[in-house]
Amino acid sequence: MSERPLTPAFLESPFVKEKVLLGMPLRTYVKSLFTPWNAIAAAILLAGIPTLVFRFWRGLGAVSNLSQTNPWGIWVAFDIVCGVALAAGGYTVACAVYIFGQKDYRPILRPAILTGFLGYALVVFGLIVDLGQPWRLPYQFFLTPGTTAVMYEVGWCVMLYLMVLGLEFLPAALEWLGLVKVRRLLGSLTIGIIVLGVTLSTLHQSSLGAFFLMTPGKLHPLWYSPFLPIFFFVSSISAGIGMVIVESAISHRAFHDQLDPAAPVDLDKITLGLAKGGAVVLFAYFFIRLQGLVASGRFDLLATGWGAWYLFEMLGFVLLPSLLFALAARRHSARLARAAGLLTVLGVILNRFNVSLIAFNWNVADRYVPSAGEVITSLTIVTIGVLVFRWIVNRMPVVHEHPDWRGAH
Amino acid sequence: MHEHSLLSPYTAKALEYGLAITYLLLFIPFWRFVQGETPAHAFGFGWFQVPNGVHLHAGHAWARPEGGMVEVGLDDFAHKLVGPLDQLRLPEIGAPVRQGQKAFSLVAGGQELDVLSPIDGHVVAVNEALRAHPEGALRDPYGAGWLMKVEPRWLTGNLKNLFTGEGARRFLDAAAGRLAQQLTPQLGVVLQDGGTPVHGIARALDPEHWDEMARRFLGGK
Repeated sequence: MSERPLTPAFLESPFVKEKVLLGMPLRTYVKSLFTPWNAIAAAILLAGIPTLVFRFWRGLGAVSNLSQTNPWGIWVAFDIVCGVALAAGGYTVACAVYIFGQKDYRPILRPAILTGFLGYALVVFGLIVDLGQPWRLPYQFFLTPGTTAVMYEVGWCVMLYLMVLGLEFLPAALEWLGLVKVRRLLGSLTIGIIVLGVTLSTLHQSSLGAFFLMTPGKLHPLWYSPFLPIFFFVSSISAGIGMVIVESAISHRAFHDQLDPAAPVDLDKITLGLAKGGAVVLFAYFFIRLQGLVASGRFDLLATGWGAWYLFEMLGFVLLPSLLFALAARRHSARLARAAGLLTVLGVILNRFNVSLIAFNWNVADRYVPSAGEVITSLTIVTIGVLVFRWIVNRMPVVHEHPDWRGAH
Repeated sequence: MHEHSLLSPYTAKALEYGLAITYLLLFIPFWRFVQGETPAHAFGFGWFQVPNGVHLHAGHAWARPEGGMVEVGLDDFAHKLVGPLDQLRLPEIGAPVRQGQKAFSLVAGGQELDVLSPIDGHVVAVNEALRAHPEGALRDPYGAGWLMKVEPRWLTGNLKNLFTGEGARRFLDAAAGRLAQQLTPQLGVVLQDGGTPVHGIARALDPEHWDEMARRFLGGK
């Protein structure tokens, strides 16, 4: 009697072994997954996936503290509004490399695009979690289009931009799969795809701000402004720069073995270049925000508790990172630039939370506090993003160039 | 009759315009700070720059006494002549250097070029940051671009052999003049801003034998 094979035949195929199992036998690969970080991720998913199932099964009320008074919670504030801003690194770097010809930033382009792509995919996922009934998603595009609604434009832009980001990232996947002809065809379309991506980003980053123009009675006057679309667009550039600095620093440390020793990347130099951009954008953003305050004329509110919170955001998370970026560029300190990058990211998160959650419905008695189910769901979404990012970077040419496609678009 | 109201703008509008102008005025020093330029300390001699307090050697290394030590670097002319550096080969700490003799080497475009020391003494520090990123020296040749610090032996005597102030101006003018004699119409493509030579002028002038020209200038000839 012949011995039964321990593993299914497809796991023994060269493709699966080399491309999926990273050249390891299945048993070794599975063993390599037992790490402390994976244990934490598994714990989050074990709690989060049943919560997600429960949310779709029993509805919003079963897992969230959302109500008629507070219909938007952290799923909107964090997963969608913050998610879109933090995914801006993709268009920021793509614009720098392809539109402004700053080829020095090429090494960080693919990680930025991948972060953007996964970020937007999770935004859509978060949106579906918040809205429920995912089969109704096409309604707003095709069946009941509200052509005068900001949400209509946001919906179209996010959907199209997600597709464009997918196309922007596809070359890495095609190089990994060895599909040379399709990869070459896609390479010839690069500039068109990038231009489309940058255009769509500028449109919907700002229209996400325009979305809050409909809520003058609900949003605190220190945050409400007719300039909200401009605030959102300009701050998305700083968010993109901050995210790229932080993400590239983490990636280069976490995926050090993926770097190509034949083509060393001077990440400090790239970081310092981005720091200059961050300093200028945040400096401009600070003054644009002040213009909003001047236009509203509500200086009296600065003397209130909300005023202190507003100044905390403006001085600590807009002006301070701008000055730190400037100092980092001046002193050629990449470490300081990374600290400023982190502060910028936290600042954009704080701003989006303020606009969509903290200073939103500021005057109602029934203030919203997220439930444990909402927090676990958001953590699960972020964890899925991190795990997918790591899975892709460990396999596809993201932080290094594919040897056959060096310098190709 | 109504009073003329053109000169009484709304307060909010006045504040808005005031804020915009404040931003523009503040942006100038802010950008200069970010760029790390110190134009107030440098004065132009036509094409090439040299700040006050810097002593130039005929081989285009500079020396600046500071607190008992002397900072040594490569002047703006040499940087623009040679262009982007691939590598800097700086001496070991403690190594002796003699005025007019080789102090360190540059590697650019596959060629190694020796640079002469402007003073006598012992090396006490080298700019480690520039070893990894030699291009940093090009950005700020007289500031962050210092290459080594030397404990001087005959500082007063050495300084007498170097160019400073008006002498440095004439020296760089003369070097620029010699370079100008070698300009060809083809160089027009490497000029920027209507006349300032780009980095790597020697390579642009004579791609085949540029290193010989660079060696002539760095050798003080």
